[in-house]
Amino acid sequence: MTAPATPRVKIFRWKAVGPLLVFFGIVGVLWILFADTIARHATQKVGTQVIGAKVEITDLHLDLSHGKVMIRGLTVASPHEAFRNLLQADELVADLDVVPLTEKKLIINRLAANGLRFGTPRETDGRVAAKSAGGDGVPSRVMAETREWASQFQVPVLQLATGKISIDSLDPRKLSTIPAAEALGARADSSQRAWKAAFDTLRVGPTLDSANATLEKLKHARATDLATLNEARQAIERLKRAQGRVTSLERGVKTGVASLQSGLAGLDSAKRRDYAFARSLVKLPTLDAPHVGAALFGPGAIRPFERVLYYTQLARRYMPPGLLPRASTGPARMRRAGEDVRFPKEHALPGFLLRSAELSFLLHPTAEQPQRYAGHLTGFSSDPALYGRPMLAGATGPQLAAGAMVNHVHDIPVDTAGATLGGITFAAFQVPGVPLRLDPSARCSRGSASARATCAGYVIPDLRAAPSAT
Amino acid sequence: MFALLKLIQSLVGALHSEGTPGQLAAGLVLGSFLGLTPLMNLHNAVILALLMLLNVSFAGGMLGWALFVPFGFLLDPLFDWMGHGLLLAPALRPLWTSLYNMPIVPLTNFNNTIVLGSFVFALVVAIPLFFALRWAVARYRETVGARVRQSKFYQALTASKLYNVYRMFRP
Repeated sequence: MTAPATPRVKIFRWKAVGPLLVFFGIVGVLWILFADTIARHATQKVGTQVIGAKVEITDLHLDLSHGKVMIRGLTVASPHEAFRNLLQADELVADLDVVPLTEKKLIINRLAANGLRFGTPRETDGRVAAKSAGGDGVPSRVMAETREWASQFQVPVLQLATGKISIDSLDPRKLSTIPAAEALGARADSSQRAWKAAFDTLRVGPTLDSANATLEKLKHARATDLATLNEARQAIERLKRAQGRVTSLERGVKTGVASLQSGLAGLDSAKRRDYAFARSLVKLPTLDAPHVGAALFGPGAIRPFERVLYYTQLARRYMPPGLLPRASTGPARMRRAGEDVRFPKEHALPGFLLRSAELSFLLHPTAEQPQRYAGHLTGFSSDPALYGRPMLAGATGPQLAAGAMVNHVHDIPVDTAGATLGGITFAAFQVPGVPLRLDPSARCSRGSASARATCAGYVIPDLRAAPSAT
Repeated sequence: MFALLKLIQSLVGALHSEGTPGQLAAGLVLGSFLGLTPLMNLHNAVILALLMLLNVSFAGGMLGWALFVPFGFLLDPLFDWMGHGLLLAPALRPLWTSLYNMPIVPLTNFNNTIVLGSFVFALVVAIPLFFALRWAVARYRETVGARVRQSKFYQALTASKLYNVYRMFRP
């Protein structure tokens, strides 16, 4: 008997090829219909994550057959100001390399930006990183770091004590002048008593009287009167001893007086310490020139550089040097995001590269005389070591001359930026406690600030800024 | 409620299909890839194509997907740890570097710790899972399968329209 042969199971289900092709066809049609929308949403989402402020796009059109992407109505909110945009652009046209897209690499050969406007107002708060400074995400962490750096320049203009001053703080026992004065008085009294006693023990008067009597006797004595001569010799000895005692007393008094004078000086410094202590209780400011300068001009002049530093630090995070694998937070989804690890490879294209960008833009577009600027950007890459050249950026215009080189090609990054900014308005301030408002801009209408910062390595730079007022 | 009913229909329909226990187990294993790994990735398009093209239980695949989704969420920390270890292992760096710089492969997001960790986990458990499920389905059919087939519940379930849709893709 042989077992009945089991029917052979076919491996492929050929009748499913049709439905599968239809399925992929539907996916293709949906892609064609919604690619622009998907790309727009993805760009907005990624842009917001990268910059730390809302990125909004009115319209995005992908033309992959011609390697072009057109963006209309780009708005990037300011990461620092609630109701202000960092930039708005009427139109951005990018020429893409299509083939690297299959490697998930975005290579933009040329980007032309038209109708760029900076600092325009917006109706909603577009900040993202500033509202979660120190939280998750690169912009939030960078925002916290730059704020900490800028806080060292935030010197209060005038800060008086408010509220109640504690009685304990005013306790006379805590003042050093009174104990020092009491100690000095005691020392003076003690010295006086010692000197008086020493003077009393001198007994100079009897010695002088005895010496005068001996002298009178000598005048009438004969030359052979040995007793008188002997008496005269003893009188001279007594005079010498009296002179020694006087000299010794004089020396002691001088030393004591010097000691008391030193105590008096100590009393003076104790008095100054007590004044400083009392001033600190009411928080009177120092009026040293550096403090006054920093208080008046610091907040106005440091703000632009704080922002530059924010973008520089962002560049360091997104454009790290070297070719080692590096991890970053993965895409947001319902499940855990995980980490994306990038593996740059020598002689390969970087994940993102903007070869060249030409920008033309207006500042203060709503002013009577808008300021027209021109800018350029080359070599903006996520892997500078692969691109092999530093990123260069520059902008020129009526109140701005700026240039920057971000060199992350080698292991130690070197960032250099220089700028001269005009039209800085110094902040007016109210003097607390008195009906007085100081407005530096009333006397010096506008200020300018020049700065050059070079940062090598991984530390926040020590900025050299030179504010000036005109 | 509808999803639950659909799941029960799928489960009962798959268990009592004309397919062999091996076909049902293979479908469940392919479905486990959909459930364990993050769905919107290129490799899952390949899994879906395999589910349709290979002569395995499509309903089993859908069932496997539904059953393994909660495990996917639950095991994400493990997947993250596994993916991290694999992606940052110095010995594997040349492999990942060459894959990362190839066309198409980066679109699978294999360089994400969750994606790689969950995919490797699904791959590792696939073979034992296949044999375990094949044995379990065979045991079910030998023991309680015949009684369930004659129950009113099964009759009502198979009479629904959804069952007719399912029959289009039965093995």
